[in-house]
Amino acid sequence: MSKKVLLVDDEAGFTELLKMNLEKSGDYEVQIENDPTQALGTARRFQPDAVLLDVVMPGMDGGDVQAQFQGDPILGNIPIIMLTALVDSAELSEGAVAQSGSSIMLPKPVDLPLLLGVLSNALEAAEEV
Amino acid sequence: MEPVSIVESVLDNLPVAIFAKDATDDFTFILWNKKQEEVTTIRRAKALGKNDYKLFSRESADYFRSVDKAVIKRGKLMKVPDEILETQDGEEVHLRTVKIPVFDAATQRQLVVGISEDITEQVRSREKLESLNKTLTEANRELQETQMQLIQAEKLESIGRLAAGVAHEVKNPLALLLLGVDYLSQGIDPDDQNVDKILGQMRDAVERADRIVRGLVDFSSQRALMREQTNLKRLLDDVLLLIRHELTRSNTAVELSVPADLPDVYLDLSKFEQVLINLIINATHAMGKTESPKLEIVVLCEDLQGVVKNQGARKKEVFRSGDRVVHLELRDNGHGIDSKDSGRVFDPFFTTKATGQGTGLGLSVSRKIVALHGGELTLKNRENVKGAVAKITLPTKVEAIPGKQGSKKVKDVDTNASKLA
Repeated sequence: MSKKVLLVDDEAGFTELLKMNLEKSGDYEVQIENDPTQALGTARRFQPDAVLLDVVMPGMDGGDVQAQFQGDPILGNIPIIMLTALVDSAELSEGAVAQSGSSIMLPKPVDLPLLLGVLSNALEAAEEV
Repeated sequence: MEPVSIVESVLDNLPVAIFAKDATDDFTFILWNKKQEEVTTIRRAKALGKNDYKLFSRESADYFRSVDKAVIKRGKLMKVPDEILETQDGEEVHLRTVKIPVFDAATQRQLVVGISEDITEQVRSREKLESLNKTLTEANRELQETQMQLIQAEKLESIGRLAAGVAHEVKNPLALLLLGVDYLSQGIDPDDQNVDKILGQMRDAVERADRIVRGLVDFSSQRALMREQTNLKRLLDDVLLLIRHELTRSNTAVELSVPADLPDVYLDLSKFEQVLINLIINATHAMGKTESPKLEIVVLCEDLQGVVKNQGARKKEVFRSGDRVVHLELRDNGHGIDSKDSGRVFDPFFTTKATGQGTGLGLSVSRKIVALHGGELTLKNRENVKGAVAKITLPTKVEAIPGKQGSKKVKDVDTNASKLA
């Protein structure tokens, strides 16, 4: 049975291509949300098994979205993988991931096999909990 | 005292040097007044009965003789605007001389009468003025060069600030390209509807990355002021693309309002981008603690009315009634300008930012760049609303720009600059 993945990123072209790639593997059903302020509502309706989340977005950054998810009783435990094009190490240490304690962060451009591996591991780990 | 005739007395008291030569007797001097003694430093007694070759250098005498002969040949008055004479003391004297051919019927002699005015002081003053003017021109040129270097130095600082953001903006299209490659490398199914779409998106991504990089390269270029006929809307789109990352990170909402029928202005694109980037970055810093930071960019065109030159506000010294101008306002909702700082914001090196966050050159350089375009830049607090407004007023006529005329070349500016997210 395919797993549900929510993509939250303001880059519409990027999310569309990532969705195509994930769906081509046949393992995932993907929903896109390009407006981070709507991410929580979309997730409540879609009930994803994992979330791929951009860091720098207008209106609300990835760290804030992550905090919203973690504060939600149902979505609080789903794995979140952060994707970022941030290039400056200072920003990484100050960024949302470091603050929220999330352990998975992947750089953009995304290495697809790596992402698929990380995603699959994260979903397996979440099932074991 | 020897008796002198009235004519001799008058001649000796004239403020001009007067002499006469007898052309029929090898151009020997037959008249030499007091002023002529003074300018040549040769006494009359020594000069009379001698010709130029006995009194002056060979070179000078040759010249005088050639003019004398020409005067007789033409039979009419000749003016020598600046004749240089070397005196006995080795001093150079400048004379403005008129030479007149006179035929003395009584004695049947052909004479050349000369009247010379000593213009040495005038020439010296003129030379001094010319030299001073040259020094001043040189100093002015050096000052302009220094100003351009300062503008460039400040721009390099901006580029440093923008670099991380621009890299981020380039990484996004690169990420998209890589996903496209990943998808296509898994094999292409002829019935796959996604392929065309993916190829289109990959092409867009390459163009977008190219536009961002080109924008940065154009912005970095160092060159003399070069104005082009510019559409302000396109310029603003390009600028917003370059600083998109900064605006996104600071969560700043941007509202852009530009009338469709806005006349073109004449701008140096790279330098004007520098001004706008400076002002927008300043605004985002000022809105650092604002809950919902919002930057309104409003462009308006106005035909100035009732403006009297040299009266009241500074604007009135720059523009006149009837001038068509374009106003560009950047309104933020940040902390505004502290009243104690309002008189100093344009001072070089004045900054309210923490050490390392700004050199304090941005606004002074921006004002200089705007002035080079014949416009003006003001910065003040907004009325009735918290925040500051930076206002640039620009002439729409190329004639209004100081210095040389602007180029009418239209730059091929990309019209598809990406929207702000």
